[in-house]
Amino acid sequence: MLYFIGQVFPYIAMGVFLAGLAWRVLTWLKAPVPFQLTMFPAPASAVERVTAVGKQLCLFTPLYKGDRTLWFWAWIMHVSLALVIVGHIVGIYFLTQQFTLIGLSPKASTLLSESLGTVAGIMLLLSLLALFYRRTAIAEVKRLSDPADYFDLLLILAVVITGMHMRLPTVHVDLPVIRTYLGGLLTLQPVPIPENWLFISHFLLVNILMIYFPFSKLVHLLGSVVSRAMISEAPPVYPTPAGVQRQATIFAKEGQSYESSATRGQGTGSQSRGV
Amino acid sequence: MNYIEVNGVKIELDEDGFIVEPDLWSEDLVKAFAKTEGVEELTEDHWKVINYLRDYFKQFGIAPMIRKLCKDTGFSLKEIYDLFPSGPAKGACKLAGLPKPTGCV
Amino acid sequence: MKVPLHVAKEQEVKAAGFKPTPETEIKEKFLAKLDDVRSSMRSIMVMLETCTKCGNCAQQCHSYLGTNDYNNFPAARAELMRRVYKRYFTTAGKLLGRFYGAEEFDSELISKWMTYFYQCNECRRCAQFCPFGIDTAEVTIAARHIMSELGIMPKFMAGIAVNMEKSGNNMGIPKPAIVDCAEFMEDEMRDETGLDIKIPIDKPNSDVLYVPSSADFFTNVDTMIGAAKMFHHLGVNWTISSKILEAANFGLLFNMNVMREHNQRLKEAAREVGASLVVQGECGHGWRAARMYTEGASGPVPFKIMHVLEYAAENLSKLPLRKLPLRVTLHDPCNYARAGGVIEQPRQIIRACVEEFVEMTPNREENFCCGGGSGILMDEMMEIRMQLGKKKAEQVKALGSLDYFAVPCSICKAQLPHVMKHYGMGSLSMGGVMDLVGKAMVFDK
Repeated sequence: MLYFIGQVFPYIAMGVFLAGLAWRVLTWLKAPVPFQLTMFPAPASAVERVTAVGKQLCLFTPLYKGDRTLWFWAWIMHVSLALVIVGHIVGIYFLTQQFTLIGLSPKASTLLSESLGTVAGIMLLLSLLALFYRRTAIAEVKRLSDPADYFDLLLILAVVITGMHMRLPTVHVDLPVIRTYLGGLLTLQPVPIPENWLFISHFLLVNILMIYFPFSKLVHLLGSVVSRAMISEAPPVYPTPAGVQRQATIFAKEGQSYESSATRGQGTGSQSRGV
Repeated sequence: MNYIEVNGVKIELDEDGFIVEPDLWSEDLVKAFAKTEGVEELTEDHWKVINYLRDYFKQFGIAPMIRKLCKDTGFSLKEIYDLFPSGPAKGACKLAGLPKPTGCV
Repeated sequence: MKVPLHVAKEQEVKAAGFKPTPETEIKEKFLAKLDDVRSSMRSIMVMLETCTKCGNCAQQCHSYLGTNDYNNFPAARAELMRRVYKRYFTTAGKLLGRFYGAEEFDSELISKWMTYFYQCNECRRCAQFCPFGIDTAEVTIAARHIMSELGIMPKFMAGIAVNMEKSGNNMGIPKPAIVDCAEFMEDEMRDETGLDIKIPIDKPNSDVLYVPSSADFFTNVDTMIGAAKMFHHLGVNWTISSKILEAANFGLLFNMNVMREHNQRLKEAAREVGASLVVQGECGHGWRAARMYTEGASGPVPFKIMHVLEYAAENLSKLPLRKLPLRVTLHDPCNYARAGGVIEQPRQIIRACVEEFVEMTPNREENFCCGGGSGILMDEMMEIRMQLGKKKAEQVKALGSLDYFAVPCSICKAQLPHVMKHYGMGSLSMGGVMDLVGKAMVFDK
């Protein structure tokens, strides 16, 4: 069982996560955008477009214009999550010694690394709780929510809580052992998972989250980019420059129910427009 | 189905209360409509507007521009509203037996 | 079907060129159409799959704020499509069902769609505030399209489609009447200016094709007169076309194939008169349809497309304007500001035409809709229309005394007089921006 959890399941999780996300995005990109959905005032150049989308995605500006409280918690949640993820990669790779690179003593580096991680973890925990509370406190949002909406939050909360638990001073986690284990996974030479039940449960929950991720609304991670890119597209230029051919096949397919004015009134009723 | 009864005969109306069959228009129908459209008493002025609308429709197949209606009948828009409280497009046209003007109106 | 609007009957559906769907085939055809739409519109797929249900859109939607009806809250409105979409087209929805918010299609659904997708004004304001840019207007456009493909549509839309096909305009004005109206307006302009200002119809070899709203030939006469005076003064070789006396493209508001047919008609009309520039009159969604959809709907466009307010703003310094002594505010039509990029031009024009211009709050791309947008102009919807117009009325009321309310869109012009009257501002005079241009222009006699 531990063999499966430690040496097989992580690969399944990573595979499903990456393939699932790629599949979701590719299905979106396969569908055409028959008409520019430009939201005005529109960015004037490609650079402006990237800047505008980047700003909206990094600072959540549309939320800021609307619900300031939601903006605060949502932004804190995402930023602390990003910090935590980066912290995991860096902290585990350097075994908390990353700040010696900028001149700190090994002890100070560990202290800073652990403090930052703890602060980010607490921020993440608080913001997840705030978002959970908000979902139940605002009547419209509560009515709109399905079990899955709470489940998403609870799953991430479970990951965070098991992770934070390992930070408690009474709990000992052997970081070098974990690094060896994760390194083994990454280099495709898996070694047995350290028999620390806190770590195992944390790691297992992360794997479950990764499998769940591409099929849930958590794909808004990428959906937001695709959607924003769509509504910030440049409007068409007229007269149409030579060589530009927009996807002009829209809805009409087999069994067209609408007759063109040319065929209307002839009583056929079955004419396909066959665009 | 909506109906309006004129001299014991039922005349079909559409959902908006306009007559479906334009040929069934009669002066008695106008009198019946008057009550539902808030016109208390049909005066010569009412008939002037109604006849103008009918003549224009006969010639052009559509209701006239509101401003042209005012200019040609000599009534201001306010006077038209006084005559037909539900307005020239919905009230006067209904009484005149015209189809309901549609589009952005 | 119990819905707040008159649904087109079988005969009306057929007259509009659609095939009614028998009750037994509704579900199957509905799902086929939903599949069709999702694979032809990336926006539908992405926007239905990306919402995290944060609810930020609730307080930004005039429809929800005015009606207080849960299903008019943008995310909830989109849920009406999202829930069936999840059930039939997503892995999690098929596996997890209700847990994931997926629901089976049932016969009630169409009534709900007819009710609530016809209480969305397609104003796109929610997309301005959505962290992901989810545009409920896209969902509404798709939902209305699917329903009309099933032969289910408001009587109002079906009637307009019939008129458009028959006469080239929504009101059904035949050519002789167009000629009569144009002559009447020419007389009016002659009486006023002493000049022989023409409104040319179907004039071959014209440089500019002007596409007014057909309502300009019924109620909004001054908008047409303003444009005619401007073209006259600038010495433009222009014409209107009896083939398409309609900037409004109701196809965009209920069926994408009708929309495309309208755009093709526009292309043909421009080719017929030889125009290298098409100027769209004061019509909001019609501007979006022409500006944003013409190429996608019917291929490369050989002419330039401008809005009459862009055109007027560009030529402002050449117009002999004398400021009118009025205090004026502007309502930004949704499809100019958010969906069509005509934002500063009406302001420049109004400032040049009147003594005092005041902004309402919010304005520009954050403006609230008039409540009639997307063709919600049905008489039977009047009570709901007044609720949809509530935010607008509050905005105007906050400005104190006004002489003129500039609303440069035919739908707004049809909706707002009712709204203003309903909220106790019935004496406020309102009309287009070109109306002001026409009135501010001073001609040497």
